[in-house]
Amino acid sequence: MTATTAILLAGCAGASPATTESTPVAGGTLTYATGFGEPTCLDPHVGGNMPQALLGTNVLESLFSQDADGAIVPWLATAGTPSADGLSWDITLRDDVTFTDGTPFDAEAVKANVEHMKDPATASSTAILALGKVADVEVVDPTTARFVLSEPDSALLESLAQTWLAMESPAGLTRSQEENCEAPIGTGPFTVESWTKQDNVTLVRNESYNSSPTGAAHEGTAYLDKIVWRFIPDPATRFAALQAGQVDVIDEMQPDNVVTATSSEDLAVLQGALPGASIRLELNSGYAPFDDERVRKAFIASADVNPGIESLFFGTVERSYSVLSTSTPYGASYEDDFAIDVDKANTLLDEAGWTTRDADGYRTKDGQRLTVDFPISTNQSIPAEQSLFEQIQATTKEVGFDVQLHPLDLSSWYASLAAWDFGVTSAIYTKNSADVLRILYDSANIQPAPSGYHPNHSHVDIPELDELLTKAGQTTDADERAAAYADAQKILSDGAYVLPLYDHLQKIGYRTSVQGLSLLPTLQLPYLADAWVQ
Amino acid sequence: MTHTVGNDGAEAAVRAPTPSLPTPTPELRRSSRSRGWVIVRGVLLRIGGGLFVLWAAATLTFFGLRLIPGDPAQAILGGPGSQASAEALAQVRADYGLDQPIWVQYIAQLGRLATGDLGTSYSLRSPVAEVIGAQIGGTLLLAALALIVAWAIALGLAVWSTRGGRIAAAVGSTLEIVAAAVPHFWLATVLVLVFSTALRWFPAVSTAGPEGLVLPVLTLALPLAGFLGQVMRESVLDALSAPFVLSARARGESENGVRWRHVLRHGSLPGIALSGWAFGFLVSGAVVVETIFARPGLGRTLLNAVQLRDVPLVVGVVLVVALGYVIMTVATDAASRLADPRLRRQGVAL
Amino acid sequence: MAQWVAIGVLALLLLAAVLPGVLAPGDPLAIDPAQAFLSPRWGHPFGTDESGRDIYTRVVHGAAPSLVIGVAATAIGILLALVLGLAAALGGRVVDFGVSRLLEVLFAFPGLLLALLVITVYGPGIVTSTIAVGLATAPGYARIIRSQTRSVASAPYIEAAVVLGRSRGRILVQHILPNAVVPVFVLVTLGVGQAIVWAAALSYLGLGAEPPAAEWGAMLFAGKNYLATAWWMTFFPGLAIVLSAVAATVLGRALQRRGPR
Repeated sequence: MTATTAILLAGCAGASPATTESTPVAGGTLTYATGFGEPTCLDPHVGGNMPQALLGTNVLESLFSQDADGAIVPWLATAGTPSADGLSWDITLRDDVTFTDGTPFDAEAVKANVEHMKDPATASSTAILALGKVADVEVVDPTTARFVLSEPDSALLESLAQTWLAMESPAGLTRSQEENCEAPIGTGPFTVESWTKQDNVTLVRNESYNSSPTGAAHEGTAYLDKIVWRFIPDPATRFAALQAGQVDVIDEMQPDNVVTATSSEDLAVLQGALPGASIRLELNSGYAPFDDERVRKAFIASADVNPGIESLFFGTVERSYSVLSTSTPYGASYEDDFAIDVDKANTLLDEAGWTTRDADGYRTKDGQRLTVDFPISTNQSIPAEQSLFEQIQATTKEVGFDVQLHPLDLSSWYASLAAWDFGVTSAIYTKNSADVLRILYDSANIQPAPSGYHPNHSHVDIPELDELLTKAGQTTDADERAAAYADAQKILSDGAYVLPLYDHLQKIGYRTSVQGLSLLPTLQLPYLADAWVQ
Repeated sequence: MTHTVGNDGAEAAVRAPTPSLPTPTPELRRSSRSRGWVIVRGVLLRIGGGLFVLWAAATLTFFGLRLIPGDPAQAILGGPGSQASAEALAQVRADYGLDQPIWVQYIAQLGRLATGDLGTSYSLRSPVAEVIGAQIGGTLLLAALALIVAWAIALGLAVWSTRGGRIAAAVGSTLEIVAAAVPHFWLATVLVLVFSTALRWFPAVSTAGPEGLVLPVLTLALPLAGFLGQVMRESVLDALSAPFVLSARARGESENGVRWRHVLRHGSLPGIALSGWAFGFLVSGAVVVETIFARPGLGRTLLNAVQLRDVPLVVGVVLVVALGYVIMTVATDAASRLADPRLRRQGVAL
Repeated sequence: MAQWVAIGVLALLLLAAVLPGVLAPGDPLAIDPAQAFLSPRWGHPFGTDESGRDIYTRVVHGAAPSLVIGVAATAIGILLALVLGLAAALGGRVVDFGVSRLLEVLFAFPGLLLALLVITVYGPGIVTSTIAVGLATAPGYARIIRSQTRSVASAPYIEAAVVLGRSRGRILVQHILPNAVVPVFVLVTLGVGQAIVWAAALSYLGLGAEPPAAEWGAMLFAGKNYLATAWWMTFFPGLAIVLSAVAATVLGRALQRRGPR
């Protein structure tokens, strides 16, 4: 009822020229230009990366969502209740939602989705990892799906809230993968109308939408008629297109553009910290020279990043001392462990046996130079970040480190990580739960997947840490979980495995003609069902 | 990008001023039979040569991509960093024949290519022919417009600067040299900054309408015009002092008539000869321009495909470009013959 | 007149390449985040970059790597071309046929792909991008050398030498090589400028010199993101590239006009 009224109101407002800023207007087209890249498949079950999640958020919906504080709230599910032993969860579902192809959303659909994600033929990477402890889904009744687990999973509901585990029409999933990749069918506010490769994806309004997430500004169908989702890889061009009014919203803004946009009357900026790990340097503790804790500590004590963060990011980010993003619960900061102290760094390196210096001023030991290879993914690290890495190279040089920067394309970068052919690197991991710590620092994840990928880049292998992370991942007691995560992060900090830099920020620029734009808290992705254009 | 840049321009530059060009003489009539045979033989040679070029390009690309680190099976399973299981990888290797020895894969690929099947793209999961079919139009339009604009600028500048006296000559030659020395990517960003951000005359990214083509076409055309212009002006200058121009003037033809009929025709010869090379220049430039202006096209497809180790797609694009080059060479050859009667008498060169 | 200006520019470049410390005594890699993004001013005539490095110092120190890339890439291209071109022109029909086909294949190959392949196989860096540019330019030079050599070989004075009974080797060394190869040196001057531009383009795609090297292409690459706010970061390295390419071309053309015919 409320929804209908809103549309009627909006319809009237649209017809009247005297629109006030606060009155939503139905209709119109919004052009969104993304710099995250073009997905190779629009179904986020397949693979599972940021470009898919960004687009998918407008088309597909998840069982759960999160509020601004990170607490789990219902969405397509109404509740989730664990059994006493934590080995099964009963998830109850809404009974009034249908997919846009008319298929009803029910427990059978949930089962079909989980099976699709776990099917090797789907080639999921993100969803399958998040469902690692889910053995099976049983259909108890049409509105109750029982998740049977192999071991307790305190992060299950958070995992299910991610777009990579969104619910798709079972009828749609039975199509060929090629077809499902072209236009996945969900319950979201928009549907995929067409996809012109390397140009745009066109989304149109779902006229029977009735499942707005908690926190949405309005219930029911979206205001916009249509979204044109464009792919503009070059950041300067993307911003120029926004300035010229050719597009309405852009993501992946460069820091200097954030400043320009903030001071412009026509433009505005929406920022949010992506959940998961912060942007950080991972020191490869499995191989020389960082297998020596003293060398790691010397590196961290000499890598002076604060002045660079200040100047390169124009005050748009804050220095972080936590491995976890500020938008992820249970983050702990140990600022003192990251103080700059050149004397201490020099002493540590002397103690570690790097006592001599060569003609270029680099330290040596047994004729070997203190070289640290630093492969940089040009896909993941933004230009300002790459400049910051150059500054780290310059400041650590003063105590005798020879940091070699290697900007690489994604394939080559992964290849050098898989071969452990690096001293330090920076990798992004977005996940809406502190369980990301287990993925990144559990010794089990030193072992590569068959594809060669191992998330534990720091090669952290501490049984005590493994135990803490397992405990935190299984307990349902919030205090116990918090204590375990705090202890785990203290171990990482004490051992100088990671140098946290700042939050991974979602930087959305938009024209002020766009109203009602917000970020969906779960993954801090733009939510367009509330948006309208004047 | 690096497509034999400059030096081929230089080739024409070296060749163009070759002195003592004879006054065109009336073509000698040959017996129609021997002339027919020459043409048929020429066509056959061309087709054979073209097929050879295509085969060699496909072979080079196939083996070249296999030298690159990175597993094609991984590319198929959602790219690097994916947590593909051992079973999934094995399945894909078997499905795509990647578990076969490399020469078996090579023969299989050649066999498919021979039947006109370009295969399926690993990363886009659709037939390569379809992907190329969807992307080629944009690149061809861009390249064709850029070539026309470059020709127009180069010819205009050549004619203007050869008749405007010393200062015009100096200005023209400077403009050409500078235009040829400006890198595409830099020009593109400057054009966007001036004409899109500041003046708002043209959009910064491609649009459905023609206005979105202006900046990309200019970016490609200006450096090319620089190359063509240098070569053409030398040639025009040469022609102006050639005996046939003197005799035309002596016959009382008007200065404009002389210029347009004889000099321009003569001056455009090296330009025509360079157009085959210009094709490669434009294709390589398209990679940069399509990325900056967010235009769909083959250049962007190629760059992405190489980065994702998408072997079938890269081979497919290379084949299409090589075919385009072969066609361009034949076409420019024919055009040169039309514009230069002396060449008509010769057999097929190269 | 123009060639004297060109010679002056090239002399300055050479000085910058050989003795950069004379023109710019500072350290091109010294960072100072507090002085980042300064526009051109006293003390920083070309401004500073995103890490507070002095751009004038970097442009001067960038002359050496940029010129080395240009010269080395051209040298690789020309050497390869000499072998192929001379073989094709003087090696008889079969060799000529083979080499001509090879050249045609190389021509048909998108140059960027060739460069991309070389660089992805051996990793980005100055050495690989130099080799890539050299390889991509070789077929063009080879064709010129081939046609030049053939036209020299069929010239009347060569025929005269043959009639006079001179040995093949002597004719080759005394007559053909000087006349066919000397014009190539003109090409070198023309090619060096273009090689610098193309190596810069590879750097722009992130495939050239590794940061924080003071190399012009790499500086353009770093500066392009700040074009709207800090134009000087791309303007001065860009100017250096265009100036050297123009100077090399002007000199090449002047030599060409005087060169042996």
